[in-house]
Amino acid sequence: MKTKIALLMLSATLAAVWLSSPLAYCRDRNPHKITYRLKWILNTSSAGDIYADAAGYFAQNGLDVQIRPGGPERDPIKELELGRAEFGVASADQIIRALSKGADIVVVYQLFQINPLQWIYRPDKTLIENPRDLMGKTIGITHGGIDENIMKALLAKSGIKLSEVELYSVRYDFTPFYQARVDLWPIYRNAQGPVIGARLEEAGEKIAYFNPDKHGIHTVANSVITSGKILRTRPELVDQFIHALHRGWEAAMEPSNTEKTIAMIYQADKNTPAETIKKQLELTRAFVKPYAQIPIGAIDASAWRQTEKIMTDQKLIDKPVGIDQFLRGTFVNAKKPQR
Amino acid sequence: MLHKRIYQFLIIYFLGLSALFIVKYSLELSDYVIPSPAEVWSAARQYFFSFFINSVNTLCVAILGHMISICLATAVAIIGSKTNWIGSFIKIGAYNIQAYPIVAVAPIIFILFGDGLSSRLLITAMICYFPLLLSFIGVFSEPVAHIEHFYNSTGQMTWWLPIKIRLFENISKLITVISGSATVAMVGTIVAEFIAADAGIGYRIRIALYQSDLAKILVALFLIGICTSLYLFVLEYSGTRIKKKLDIPAEGSQ
Repeated sequence: MKTKIALLMLSATLAAVWLSSPLAYCRDRNPHKITYRLKWILNTSSAGDIYADAAGYFAQNGLDVQIRPGGPERDPIKELELGRAEFGVASADQIIRALSKGADIVVVYQLFQINPLQWIYRPDKTLIENPRDLMGKTIGITHGGIDENIMKALLAKSGIKLSEVELYSVRYDFTPFYQARVDLWPIYRNAQGPVIGARLEEAGEKIAYFNPDKHGIHTVANSVITSGKILRTRPELVDQFIHALHRGWEAAMEPSNTEKTIAMIYQADKNTPAETIKKQLELTRAFVKPYAQIPIGAIDASAWRQTEKIMTDQKLIDKPVGIDQFLRGTFVNAKKPQR
Repeated sequence: MLHKRIYQFLIIYFLGLSALFIVKYSLELSDYVIPSPAEVWSAARQYFFSFFINSVNTLCVAILGHMISICLATAVAIIGSKTNWIGSFIKIGAYNIQAYPIVAVAPIIFILFGDGLSSRLLITAMICYFPLLLSFIGVFSEPVAHIEHFYNSTGQMTWWLPIKIRLFENISKLITVISGSATVAMVGTIVAEFIAADAGIGYRIRIALYQSDLAKILVALFLIGICTSLYLFVLEYSGTRIKKKLDIPAEGSQ
């Protein structure tokens, strides 16, 4: 009898917890409100998103979009699947990994045409003219992060064994690089470069950046995703959202709008001085629209395939996911000029 | 006692796991959001041994950090219990240091100690020692009036004697506090490995988080639970032995 009562109470408690949980209701969201979950906090890397919102482009398309900042513990893909967001920004490795595990997502817009992930180093202490110069160096990588995959792919392509370099596990704190215990440190060139670079230059240090893209490792960074279900059932919503977003990015990357864009970004990211935002914006432009003939947002299918191959080669996914079938942007397979 | 701890943990763990699977299948979530039982099993088979080594590594650091915390909290509590200026200064200093978030202090720890074992130990001790300190200060500041009065009246009281009396009179309470803080030591070590190490199960969880691999995290949580249960058992068993040796009746007995 006692056991039955205990079981009954346990079931009642579990049911109460479940009913009070947001999970129980997450599928019944207001269809008129759209949540757009970013990969990271609001900063210059989301210039076009901020612009589209501040200039009212979403509202003009009949959308009430709530842009939510991301972070390490906020996975936009999971938010999409749980019905808490309609659109999100994720990196290519996250997307391919999720697809390999059956997530129902599609890529609808590619924010960066060139991956802004690079390695900062001190050229007066570490001379790097080609990838072979990496031999014997201490290289910072985030274990489990895309930078680890990119660096390992680059080393393999250059015929350098892992035992010929020292890989150093990095975190958010730059102290080991400031202390020169690490020769190369991974950073997002457009967002972190101006901040870290300025700090080192103030200290009288020379800095340079090692760009894997220039050495044949073309990978994809942030892209806009939605769920396959939304694309199937509400294609007009995807069109409206991408149309407004594209207008935002076009306007934000337009040099004549620089001051206006900086003011909008500053409203969203008051911790970064306008002067730094200006430098970040110039760099962001070079990654978002590097070629005049390639439209902003174009999905670079070949870079996606290379990212998928890198992940397959490094056994991060069991087998290729066939990434092409999940690339559903307006401008897919645009022919990229020779780098 | 050990088997009781282990099966209690297993019940909680598998109840939690079952709840996750119920959520997964009722909401039809993909393996990316919540892994399938087969994927968890596969991760367990693939990573159990390496994660076990990492968990033991973490447990060793947790035990060492816990011991450092106990020594530190005892010393600070003894000095803090004295009503002189130094005691008060140490007490306030200890409270202030605890108020700082470890993540913000981590860069200073990096500069001073690098990101190896010493940083892990320090962070573990910093997280673990405060609950101990509060209890220890309470114990060492509270006079055992009926015994201390005798020594005061007979003029035999020394600086050290009240500490010994208070320690002996509160030994059961202190053992309970020390056992309870073992969990905090384990959590503290895992936090340290998150932010300041390249070893241990916390570090492995950090990598799994980067890869959104919940299956690996579930395997790690299982091993953390087992290691914590083992350590708690050792502490409780040692406490029972100490009380038996000092002829202190076990809790609940007359």
